[in-house]
Order: sequence, then C-alpha cells, then structure tokens
Amino acid sequence: MHDSVVIALRDTLDKVTGFIYPNELELQWSILIVLYPYLTGLVAGAFILASLERVFNVKVLKPTYRLSLLTALAFLMIAPLPLQVHLGHPERSFNILFTPNPTSAMAMFGFVYLWYLMAVLLMEIWLDYRKEIVGWADTDPSWLKRLIYKVMTLGVFKPTEKSFVIDDRVGRALTIIGLPSAVLLHGYVGFIFGSIKANPWWSTPLMPIIFLFSAMASGIAGVMLLYMFLCWARDVEIEMPCLDTVAKYFLTAVIVAFSLEMLESIQTAYEAEEHFDIIQLLIEGKLYISLIVIQICLGSLLPILLLGLTQIFELPEKVRKVFYAVSGTLSLIGIFAMRWNVVVGGQFFSKSLMGFTTYKLELAGREGLFSASVIAVLPFFVLAGLLWLLPPWENKPGGAA
Amino acid sequence: MKDIEHLLRVAAIFLVAIALFVAVRSVVKPESYGKLGRYRAAALDEIKALPVRYAGQQECGPCHKTQAREKAGSSHRGISCESCHGALAAHAAAPKTAKALKPEESSMRGFCLRCHEAAVSKPAKFPTVEGGKHNPDMACSMCHKPHSPKI
Ligand code: HEC
Ligand code: HEC
Ligand code: HEC
Ligand code: HEC
Repeated sequence: MHDSVVIALRDTLDKVTGFIYPNELELQWSILIVLYPYLTGLVAGAFILASLERVFNVKVLKPTYRLSLLTALAFLMIAPLPLQVHLGHPERSFNILFTPNPTSAMAMFGFVYLWYLMAVLLMEIWLDYRKEIVGWADTDPSWLKRLIYKVMTLGVFKPTEKSFVIDDRVGRALTIIGLPSAVLLHGYVGFIFGSIKANPWWSTPLMPIIFLFSAMASGIAGVMLLYMFLCWARDVEIEMPCLDTVAKYFLTAVIVAFSLEMLESIQTAYEAEEHFDIIQLLIEGKLYISLIVIQICLGSLLPILLLGLTQIFELPEKVRKVFYAVSGTLSLIGIFAMRWNVVVGGQFFSKSLMGFTTYKLELAGREGLFSASVIAVLPFFVLAGLLWLLPPWENKPGGAA
Repeated sequence: MKDIEHLLRVAAIFLVAIALFVAVRSVVKPESYGKLGRYRAAALDEIKALPVRYAGQQECGPCHKTQAREKAGSSHRGISCESCHGALAAHAAAPKTAKALKPEESSMRGFCLRCHEAAVSKPAKFPTVEGGKHNPDMACSMCHKPHSPKI
C-alpha cells in the first residue's frame, strides 16, 4: 500500500471516538445532501401556500399567489443540482429514467419530480399567465421578450374569453392534483430517511410528516420574506392583510412542525430503547449547538413567541413587520439546522451504538461550503429571471390585481 | 374546439415528449438490461473477463515453505500473504519475470502501524503500540519477524 494512503488511514483514527465500523469513518452524505431536502422543502412550502389561495379561495393572499408559484419553480429547477454535484456524474442521471427500478424509492422519485415540474407547476403557471402572455406578445417593448411570449402562446394569439374560464377551471383542478403532489414531493424526502431501518435517528414513520410541516414553514417563511423584500425593492406598500395572513399560516406551520418534532423526541426518550444512550450523547455533544440552540430555541421557540405576540396583542404595523422578518429569517436558519441535524447528525454515531465519527466541512472542493453556497444562491438568480419574464405584480388586463 | 385549442397543443407537446422519451430509451437502453434482473446481464461476462490479480495464499506455500510454515504458527496466521505483499497472481505464475512486492525497511513503521497503532476504537485484546513511543526510529522488522512477530 502506498505510504500516503497508510498515513492518511492512520490520521483518520484521530477523528473517531469509541468504537465504530470502518465504513462509518467517512461521512458520505455531505452538506449537499443537507441542502437538497432544504431546497425541495422550500418548493413544497411555497407551492402549498399558493394552493391555499387557489383551492380554498383565500382572496387576501392574492398578492403572494404568483410569487409563491414562481418561487416554487425557481427552487425546483435548482433542487436536483446538489444531488448531481454530490454524485458527480450528471450524464448518468438519465439512466434512472431509462432503466427504472420500481422497487427503489430513490429511483422512482425521478418520475415524481418530472410529474410535479411538468404537469403541475409549469402548467399551472402557464395557465395563470396565459392571458397576459398573449397581450405581452404584442405589446412588450423588447423584441426578445415578445419572441419568448409568442413561443409561450403556442401559436394561439387570439384566445376566446371562454377559453380563460376553462383555464381557470383546469388550473384549479391542477392545484387540487398539485397539492398531494407537493406533499408527495416533500413527504418522499422524509420517507427516504424514515425508511432507513439501520439508523434509529432516522427510522420513524413520523419522518415524512415532520419533513412536510417543516417544509411548509420554510416555504411560507421564504415567500413572506421575498414578498417583503420585493415590496421594499420596488418601493410599493406591503399589503398588510396579506402579510398578516401569510404570517398566520406561517405560525401554524411552525407550531405543527415543532410539536411533531418534540412529540417524536419525547417518544424516543420515553421508550429509551438501546440506542437512546448514544442519541442522548449526540444531542448533548456534537448536536448541542445546531439542535438545542439553533433548531429548537432560535429556530422554533423564538419565532413562535414573536409571532404569538403579534396574534395576542395589537401591535403597530412597523413592529409586526420587524417581528415577521426576524421570525422568518430565524425559522429559515432553524430549518436548515434541522436538515443538518437529521442528515449529518444521523451519520455521526456508529451502528454499533458505541462510537462517533466527525465531519469536517471543507471550504473549497466539490462538496465544500463554497459550492453549497453557490447552489443555495442560484435559485434567487433563476427567480430574478422569472420575475423579469413573468412579473407577478402586473394587473391582469381584464380586472382585479 | 377553439376554446381548448391551446390545451390540445399542450397535450400534443406532452405526447411528442413522451414519444421522444420512448424512442430515445429504446436506443440508449443497454441490450442485455433486464434479462436477469435490473442490471446489464452482459456485465457479468465483462467482469468475468477481467484478469485475476490475486493468487490466494495456498499458491505461495509450495515455493515459500519457510514463510508459510512460520506464519501458520504465528498470530499473523489470519492475515493472507497478499494483504502484506500485494496482488501477486502474476508473480505466482512467473516468479522470475513478475517481482513480488516487499514492504521496505524505510516505510516499515508506517506499514505495521496501519494495523497496530493504538486507538480507543480498537478491541482491547488487539495487540497495539503507540508508534511514537514504541522504539521510535527503528524498523519494526529489526526486532519482530513479520511472519512470526512474537518476541
Ligand atoms: C512458482 C513458485 C512461486 C510461487 C507460487 C510464489 N513465489 Fe514468490 N518467489 C519465487 C521465487 C523463485 C522468488 C525469488 C525471485 C527472485 O529473487 O528474483 C520469489 C520471491 C518472492 C518474494 C521476495 C521478493 C523480494 O524482493 O525479495 C516475495 C515477498 C514473494 N516471493 C512472495 C510470494 C507470495 C506472497 C506468493 C503467493 C501469492 C508467492 N510469492 C508465490 C517463487 C514463487
Ligand atoms: C504481516 C505482513 C506479512 C504477511 C502476512 C506475510 N509477509 Fe512476507 N514479508 C513481510 C515483510 C515485512 C517482509 C520483509 C522482511 C524484511 O525485509 O526483513 C516479508 C518478506 C517476505 C519474503 C522475502 C524473504 C524474507 O523472509 O525476508 C518472502 C519470500 C515472503 N515474505 C513470503 C511471504 C509468504 C509466502 C507469505 C504467506 C505465507 C507472507 N510472506 C506473509 C510481511 C508479511
Ligand atoms: C493487516 C494488518 C496487520 C499488519 C499489516 C501487521 N499486523 Fe501484526 N497482527 C495483526 C493481527 C490481526 C494480529 C493478531 C492479533 C490477535 O491475536 O488478535 C497481529 C499480531 C501481532 C503481534 C503480536 C504477536 C503475538 O503473538 O502476541 C505483533 C508483535 C505484531 N503483530 C507485529 C507486527 C509487525 C512488526 C508488523 C509489520 C511487519 C505487523 N504486525 C503487521 C495484524 C497486522
Ligand atoms: C527494538 C526492538 C523493537 C522494535 C524496533 C519494535 N518492537 Fe515491538 N516489541 C518489542 C518487544 C521486546 C516487545 C515485547 C515486550 C512487551 O510486551 O512490552 C514488543 C511488543 C510489541 C507489540 C505488543 C505485542 C503484544 O502481545 O501486546 C506490538 C503490537 C509491537 N511490538 C509492534 C511493533 C511495531 C508495529 C513496531 C514498528 C513500528 C515495533 N513493534 C517495533 C521490540 C521492538
């Protein structure tokens, strides 16, 4: 064996405490795998917020309806990137579609993803914008945009009034199909972890539901912050009834997500199976900051407190905005920490339940902090492009904003 | 009809896309895929055709009687010859042309310590030493015989 390999092998022993199996030394699921459920969570959350307006006819949410859809699309387009970068062979990824394996949850997900992207999200956005697209195809000052809009009309330049009524109905039907699709999209991510029998930190049937509700919390928080930011950037008034309602949904999602997480923890603690000792060590040691401090205290309890205050007292608008912005940001950080605690935390301890390994986050490199940050910022550029092409704030030619 | 023209066009696009997918799939799908399971059946023959690199230690004994006997009676008996000397199928077939690898004196310490360096994660009964303290700067083989390391 080569000397450098020998030395590297010996040095890795310093990373280990207690007894672990050789294949557990290196953490395989890096920060990119933390990012992946985070991004899909934002997609699902944003889409569910849009669906609330559409399916349940919550009219006050109108100003955020299109923004939520575009946010969902922007994040969905980037969501597979962390996986591609992690696996390192993007040219092979089509094989999971060409040679599908119906007994593998991971493999089948390619189809769920495609379905959600093509049949639900793109269709719904297209139907919702079609009336404007037809108008813009004629009137937009930029020839490039006119060309894109012309393509997007699919050659139907003179739509009938009745066709829009049909669009509305089809759109609503799509949302109703879309809602379970969004749930599937994110429930699946939790399902993958929840179904790993070998890992007691992951293996619980509650996992899909916990992921789903934290996804809703993060998606709603994301759209809320984006809405506030865009109003500020465009120098228009925030519509407070809308913002207040979004914040209310946000509070609900945070409370449910947090309760489920705690329920699961309490159950684990009370059952105190043989793996509980190592989990306790994990929580009190390596995960103390990211779990107790960031995820629970700063990411869940503080936002619940702040948002709760806005519900109990009649606070002035300014204070409410600050509270919303702060709790939204905290919750987004907290939910990232939650993904981290699940993905990385679950790989810290050995299946032997007698030892830990460590994870050193690199700065550069394919799976380093830098590439993860680039991927995390990319959706905002995609979103900027979408906002340029399909501005959500234009009045519909036919009437209401 | 005019009212749903755009929807029909979308449906047409979806149909074309699905047809394209099926067409591309029929081209790129490996021929033997699925014959035996969800993998390329031809991969088995490809793997079978790879050259064998390890001889297995029952091959070494007839030519290296001393080492084989020594090792069989020592605590290193559970370690195969080739885990220390490298893959040697070529050497076993033609010992004069294909030289065997032998851990060099200069790198001996690292070589032995990759298994024997003390670490809390090792079972207590496993013989370990702290490389930095156990007769540093001397090759292990000066005192321990690799094929029968007990002193
Ligand atoms: C057909 C007889 C034969 C077989 C089988 C054989 N060897 Fe050898 N081996 C030799 C001969 C002859 C030499 C001396 C070659 C030389 O000095 O050029 C040798 C040399 C060696 C050396 C010393 C190399 C050195 O640089 O001093 C090692 C180590 C070795 N063999 C290991 C093995 C191992 C391990 C196996 C089993 C996988 C094995 N041999 C199988 C005949 C054999
Ligand atoms: C624990 C690792 C280890 C194992 C297992 C091992 N060897 Fe060696 N072998 C060595 C080392 C180290 C040397 C070099 C000794 C030296 O340079 O003083 C060596 C040297 C040799 C030599 C050169 C002659 C000599 O004795 O110095 C031969 C031949 C050899 N080994 C054959 C074998 C065969 C055959 C087996 C299996 C029966 C075997 N070895 C198993 C480590 C090992
Ligand atoms: C592939 C891993 C490996 C390598 C390399 C290795 N050993 Fe060992 N060694 C072992 C194992 C396994 C045992 C037996 C442990 C047991 O009895 O449970 C052992 C036992 C020993 C013992 C205890 C002997 C006894 O009977 O109490 C000594 C001393 C020793 N090795 C020295 C060495 C030296 C010197 C080298 C380098 C030439 C070396 N080992 C290379 C795995 C290795
Ligand atoms: C100067 C001679 C010398 C050198 C060099 C040396 N050892 Fe030792 N080693 C000994 C002696 C003597 C003992 C047995 C005495 C004892 O048990 O403390 C021993 C004991 C051991 C044991 C413990 C065996 C047991 O049963 O617990 C191991 C393992 C070991 N040596 C490995 C190594 C390795 C690996 C190296 C090279 C890095 C090495 N030794 C270098 C002389 C040496």
